[in-house]
Amino acid sequence: METSRYVQLDMQAFCQATDMPAAFVIEIVEHGIVEPTGRTPEEWLFDDFSPVIARRAAKLHHDLDLEWEGVALALELLEEVRDLRAENAMLRQRLGRFIQS
Amino acid sequence: MDFKDYYKILGVEPTADEKAIKTAYRKLARKYHPDVSKEKDAEEKFKEASEAYEALSNADKRAEYDEIRKYGQHGRPFQGPPGWQGRGGGGFEESAGDFSDFFSSIFGGSAGRGGNGNPFGRGQQRSAGRRGQDVEMELAIFLEETLANESKQISFQVPQYNGAGQQTGNTTKTLNVKIPAGVTDGERIRLKGQGAPGVGGGANGDLYLIIRLAPHPMFDVEDHDLIITVPLAPWEAALGTKVAVPTLTGRINLTIRPDSQSGQRLRVKGNGLMDKQGQRGDLYAQLKVVMPPHADEATQALWKTLSEKAAFDPRANWSR
Repeated sequence: METSRYVQLDMQAFCQATDMPAAFVIEIVEHGIVEPTGRTPEEWLFDDFSPVIARRAAKLHHDLDLEWEGVALALELLEEVRDLRAENAMLRQRLGRFIQS
Repeated sequence: MDFKDYYKILGVEPTADEKAIKTAYRKLARKYHPDVSKEKDAEEKFKEASEAYEALSNADKRAEYDEIRKYGQHGRPFQGPPGWQGRGGGGFEESAGDFSDFFSSIFGGSAGRGGNGNPFGRGQQRSAGRRGQDVEMELAIFLEETLANESKQISFQVPQYNGAGQQTGNTTKTLNVKIPAGVTDGERIRLKGQGAPGVGGGANGDLYLIIRLAPHPMFDVEDHDLIITVPLAPWEAALGTKVAVPTLTGRINLTIRPDSQSGQRLRVKGNGLMDKQGQRGDLYAQLKVVMPPHADEATQALWKTLSEKAAFDPRANWSR
């Protein structure tokens, strides 16, 4: 089966993929949580991981009563924590190889 | 069905006021939100806290719960007061989100605020069918497998629904997936329509594979480069040698120059991982001087001679 890594979604497909009304999507984009290409909502094209981020954002917004600014910040920090953890694991592994005989 | 002490779950006194309950819930929700928390049973704990908050944040529900609580103990089987019927019997209502049977038996089914529920209008979707859930799963790939297009068989669970849209269980789905060459750790691959089935004519959800490069016994990954640690005997580092160094696809002969240092990196071009354009990164051989475990008398004598001849102070910069 073929993978579809470079698929782009237009606004309609995005709303369908996320079960979100357009107004909601516009708000998420305005906060820079997902970043489609194109200037107006009619021209917007989302990459195929954006629905996952948008849904995660909606869940945080709803479950934790967070404002969109807070959601955007939380997602950024979570991403950073993930990167740091990965880097830390890698450095630990390197160090381990050098210390153990 | 076990009784749940919602006060205990939120960690508040039964006399706690609305504000204290809200604060306790918010703290737990932040701590255990499945998108935030690293803890193993985060999702369970988050659902539990949501359920507790749903019951205690509404004055009517809380009064009802307080009445029932007189007859139950946390974690013990719960029957309710004598003659108590509860509201859960009917079975017509939409299930109470992800809330427990205990919750539904008291309050009946109602779409709560917790769990996986979609925060947007439910009614509207039901008539047009409901889109299946997306499935996210990690897929471990060996470094060797990233050099070419690989087919991998994957299996995962998706929920199964009956005609009325109720979940009847899970079913295992198996797929053959082509993993393109040059994938990197953390990369996501979307497989459209391969997630959970839609309900009532709704579209299928998507499957997202998150690539994880499996730790390799010899190679470490740095972007598209690989690092291998090359152990050397002290005299190999001193005199130079040739070492057959493993690569992902075979071995290459590496020349170690005389007077090499521990920690030094030697670059072997083009033997790293592949990028999306099919270009390969480099392999770095990092030298590590290793002492022999024990020396006999003759060897000791040789070391001694060496120490006298070499007159080397590795801590010269300490004495400044």
